[in-house]
Amino acid sequence: MDPRTRLALLFCVGLLAVSLDRPASLGLLCLLCALPLLALRVPPIWWLRGGLAIGAVVWGTVLSQGLFYRALPRLPLLEVGPITIWREGVFWGLIQSLRFVATLLAGLAVATSTPPDRLYAALRRLRVPFELAFLAATALRTVPDTGRTLMAVRAARAQRGRPVWQRSPWAWLRLELSMLRPVVAEALRTARSLAESLDSRGFDPSSPRSSGRPLKLAAWEWPVLGAAIALTLGAVGMRLLFVLYSSEVLYIPSLRPLYGFVRQWL
Amino acid sequence: MLELHEVGYRFPSATAPAVSGVNLAVKPGELVLLTGPTGCGKSTVLRLAAGLLARHGSGQHSGEVLVAGRAPGDLRPAQRVELVGFVAQNPNRQVVSGTLGDEVAFSLESGAWSPALIGPRVLAMLRAVGLPEEPKRGTDALSGGERQRLMVAAALAAGAGLLLLDEPLAHLDPAGAADLMALLRRLANSGVAVLLVEHRLGIALPHVDRVALMAEGRLEGAVPRDDLDLQRCRALGLRLPGLLDLEDRLRAADRWPWTEAGVAEPQPEPAATGAPLVSTRSLSFRYPRAETEALSDVSLELRAGERIAILGANGSGKSTLLACLTGPRRKDLVRDGRSVRVPQDPDLALFCETVGEELLYGPQEMRRPDSVAHEAGRALSVDDLLDRAPQALSRGQRLRVAVAAALACEPDILALDEPTSGQDHDQVERMMRALAEAPCTLLFATHDVDLALRHASRVLVLDAGRIVLDAPPSELLHRLPDGLPLAIPPLVTWCAERGLPLGTAAEVAARIEAG
Repeated sequence: MDPRTRLALLFCVGLLAVSLDRPASLGLLCLLCALPLLALRVPPIWWLRGGLAIGAVVWGTVLSQGLFYRALPRLPLLEVGPITIWREGVFWGLIQSLRFVATLLAGLAVATSTPPDRLYAALRRLRVPFELAFLAATALRTVPDTGRTLMAVRAARAQRGRPVWQRSPWAWLRLELSMLRPVVAEALRTARSLAESLDSRGFDPSSPRSSGRPLKLAAWEWPVLGAAIALTLGAVGMRLLFVLYSSEVLYIPSLRPLYGFVRQWL
Repeated sequence: MLELHEVGYRFPSATAPAVSGVNLAVKPGELVLLTGPTGCGKSTVLRLAAGLLARHGSGQHSGEVLVAGRAPGDLRPAQRVELVGFVAQNPNRQVVSGTLGDEVAFSLESGAWSPALIGPRVLAMLRAVGLPEEPKRGTDALSGGERQRLMVAAALAAGAGLLLLDEPLAHLDPAGAADLMALLRRLANSGVAVLLVEHRLGIALPHVDRVALMAEGRLEGAVPRDDLDLQRCRALGLRLPGLLDLEDRLRAADRWPWTEAGVAEPQPEPAATGAPLVSTRSLSFRYPRAETEALSDVSLELRAGERIAILGANGSGKSTLLACLTGPRRKDLVRDGRSVRVPQDPDLALFCETVGEELLYGPQEMRRPDSVAHEAGRALSVDDLLDRAPQALSRGQRLRVAVAAALACEPDILALDEPTSGQDHDQVERMMRALAEAPCTLLFATHDVDLALRHASRVLVLDAGRIVLDAPPSELLHRLPDGLPLAIPPLVTWCAERGLPLGTAAEVAARIEAG
């Protein structure tokens, strides 16, 4: 798939995530975004860890919003002594967390499947400024390496001492921070090597570049892209009309079925 | 093709120049080796020749660098890539693309080549360096040697007539390194000027035309390979090819050619009588998303006090075996006692502010006396660096600090992953000698057969994740399976044929001279 198609789909997911306002539709969007990740063939343990991390994000957001929701009207969902969990807060927390999860999964799918130089070429073709395009492509190139370095440092430390949790929170924090030292040093070395490699191979942002593998959308990508854009624009348009109606700015009686659809599904 | 006239460079924060008064010329078709001890300024010369420091370095330059009559530092990168190609030490850090084709095409795209010309040029370059003509093949699937050859193809793709390489053999197994050197020789024969910085003289020397020696920032001259001053190389701590070194020593003592019968000292083979520390039963390991197992059906037992070398090619599973033997508990592995592994990049094991804190970290965590740390520091000769920041030390010092910090934890098993990688010979020898007395089981993964034979009491040879040989070092010479990319060093074969005990060239020469 052309990297521009991937970026366009990512953009669509971002727009849909802010347009949709129902947990069911956002949950469906999350599932759709998770599908490309299946192709990565990661081991079950990583799915489990990822699932737990996502679960923690959703649970944390739901709980905090449920506890501290202030907008009115609000109805209690659960009361335990002086603590009240608000029904509207729980829904709001669920929606917010699912928005985050959907964009996170879509971003992961694009980041893990697109070589940095292709991403850079796509961003430049989409007229993204050089600094931003280069930053994105370089981050994509180095973030996994940095993650691996951090894991290696933690593994090396673990063999020389007690588990990190067997100490005070302050000592734990200090230890975690100290482990960033070799990670930063390694990141700097990698950055220097990469910069040398790019420079010695003629990379120059101010010079024109050609492409040995020009970006080209395959025939099947056009309908996919068209459908995604139409779906996104449709959802955003319907959401806008609904917002205008619910804020009493614009009401069109013939659109009543649409208002009902948005209230029910979007 | 390359001319350096009185070239010097001082880094911004340094008081003394890193290099000064360097004069060197490399002609088309010539392969020149630039060598010298760690930190002598070889890499700085290479970067000056590549025009990289002139463009990005903010230090003080002097002298003149010319490539085909033009100063590379004054050229735009897209113009420079048509003159000079540069390959650095670690291939993993240089790859910028996801496929072979994109990687080679990168410099062509930088030069705004027509897309119609890029495809055929990419295929021609892949063919020239002996890689499969599969431009869509992923770079992740390449071995270390293949990656380095890909880097050479990428560096020369835009038609550069000068190729500069900074320790390209450091991370390669003997077969990968020999292949790369043969490739460089072919390129030189086809008219490319090649300047190579390298420590591994045993592999590089047979292929080069001239050798340039550097010490303390100054070039001591560039001479034809056969005129190399071996005495001076030894004085600089360079590791000469063993047999060449021995021949030179014996010639000096008027004992060459040496044809007498062997001294026939019995080879010491320490028996593995200690208690079992680790045992595995059909241990297998597969990395996520990998097609094949990195380790397959490994069954072995390690005993206290053993010195075990793990030999094998790049990707044969050496590091994985070390990680499994010293890592988290598994069902197919039983382990007694504490194990500490020093990673291939020792910097990843250094996280304290000073060397002193680094050494004390383990003992303090385990509530052991500080004296343990001091002893480890003394054993590895880092006790004079206690107030220094580990990251600011030389590469060899950082390795010794990491090993001393591991030793200070009083491990039952100490594992070293490729301790020779990117290190000069003297550093590794000193460290291995210090570890000979360490009261633990020593495991070390290496490509260096010579090192394994001299410092191990047992050798495991891995091939494609399987143990193909588990024997005492003396048996390695006779039982090494065919087809493995491990070469028995000529000095070892020479000693074995004459019934001499194994050793460094200096040790063997001393024994012969002593009669």
